Amino acid sequence: MSRRSKPFFVWRHLNKLRWVTLTLVFLMLILLPLLHVYQTYVAARAYDLLPLSEKQLYDTMELITAPFVSDPASELDAIKGNTWSGTFWGFKLSDPLAVVGQIAAAQSIYWPFFLTALIPIAFTVIFGRFFCGWICPATFLYELNTNLGAWLHWAGLKTGNMHFDRRMKYGVLAAGLALSMLTGSVMVAAVYPPAILGREIYYAIALGGFGSGMIFFLGTLLFDLLVARRGFCRYVCPGGALYSLIGRYRVVRIRRIVESCNDCAKCNAVCEFGLDPLRDNFGQECNNCTACIAICPTDALDFTIRLTDYPYQGPGHLGRQYRGQKKKQGSTSATPCGQKAEAL
Amino acid sequence: MKRRSFLKNIVVGTATLATVMLPYGVSRLLAPGIKIPKRNYLRPPGALKNDAEFVVACIGCGLCGEVCPPRCIRFHGRDGGAKVNTPYIDAAEKGCILCSKCIDVCPTNALTTTPIEKVDMGIAEIDRSACYPWVDQGICGACVSICPLGDKAISFKMWNQYRPYVRYGCVGCGLCVEVCPHPSKPIWIVDRSQEDVAKHAV
Repeated sequence: MSRRSKPFFVWRHLNKLRWVTLTLVFLMLILLPLLHVYQTYVAARAYDLLPLSEKQLYDTMELITAPFVSDPASELDAIKGNTWSGTFWGFKLSDPLAVVGQIAAAQSIYWPFFLTALIPIAFTVIFGRFFCGWICPATFLYELNTNLGAWLHWAGLKTGNMHFDRRMKYGVLAAGLALSMLTGSVMVAAVYPPAILGREIYYAIALGGFGSGMIFFLGTLLFDLLVARRGFCRYVCPGGALYSLIGRYRVVRIRRIVESCNDCAKCNAVCEFGLDPLRDNFGQECNNCTACIAICPTDALDFTIRLTDYPYQGPGHLGRQYRGQKKKQGSTSATPCGQKAEAL
Repeated sequence: MKRRSFLKNIVVGTATLATVMLPYGVSRLLAPGIKIPKRNYLRPPGALKNDAEFVVACIGCGLCGEVCPPRCIRFHGRDGGAKVNTPYIDAAEKGCILCSKCIDVCPTNALTTTPIEKVDMGIAEIDRSACYPWVDQGICGACVSICPLGDKAISFKMWNQYRPYVRYGCVGCGLCVEVCPHPSKPIWIVDRSQEDVAKHAV
């Protein structure tokens, strides 16, 4: 028992932190347009002319921001934008897909823009597809959608559980980039939920109504609910494809501690991307969301620093299958297969 | 036999129709493009001159709109085709105040740093058959008083204090269009290449 390594206890709670992050990002996407509307009122010195509801908005935003800024019209420009592209105190960050899409459309590289994606790319090289699990505002809604699907399933309604080829999204990415190249416009943004959500929320709040992108997004929600669980992210999303490719040899991975695993397969059931932690098959598409770590009843999943996944380590040592093997070995003699499992 | 004559009739009928319609089609093809003056979409200040280049450079992040103090920058919807999600300014609705915040915030080279005098969103054009002072229906001067560039862009005719005329310093911000009290908006932003201003300014 002593050789069984225990994961650091904080890792179990990272999933909660992840939900906090997702919620914060999503709330920021709603708050920033509201702040912008407030700024426009301040800049126009229009308080007395506003209708009552707008006055309430003005007052609320003033209440929120008053402790931090003295001149809202200019100082609130510090944080602007969405996950597609944003600026923090003059420091610009962009989605790698925006950069790749723009390079495809222009067929040349505009370096100042390329540099804005450097930090996200560096994080992706280290943490893999972390954006999809930790930041993407669409993930927030998609995961709630998954929960809704689970409730509907529990209530006896039929929800979709179809499976498609995971490689489809790389095709979507390639097609989107090819289309961007042909049309000379960043077309991938039209089928990329975080970009759609970022701008549609802004349109809805500041410019008076959702655009057509919202219909597409609602379509993806229905697709996830009725056709394939989390289907858009798994099979279609071009951004997910790009992040998966960049994070293929990510440094920080989740691994299974075979000595602690009891083959309960809860990790496989909870994995949003339909990966196979039970058989050490995380692949390039794991987004380090830590949902599997949080649900594992025997603390058998841990972070590790490696460039590739472990090869399949055999059934978990606390599982029935492994113990059955062991008993058989004990009665006859040690088999190479059993030794291998021991060694790992 | 009946079927054959029927088919023959169809062929002859189609051929006749095509021959009759041919002059109309040719004339439509050769006719000069009809100008549609309604609702012109201005690009934000500092936008690349070539609109195709602008669409290529723009990633549709909406940052320019999010920093715009008068909230004049809006975005093309599905109707924009390849221009979808790129910014525009509808001067009739709200004009640009030339604060250049959008230029600072743009992550790409779609909006490039430009001094205010060098901004080229177009140039204002006054329809002298509708503008109130020009048709002697009173005094106005709203466009002249709102202009952020002042005398360089728009001023009054010397011999009639209240008749405005546009000068080449105009950068096309569209504030004059926004404030023009005439319902048909006799002042409008046109492409600088249209060169109507010279004709009107004399």
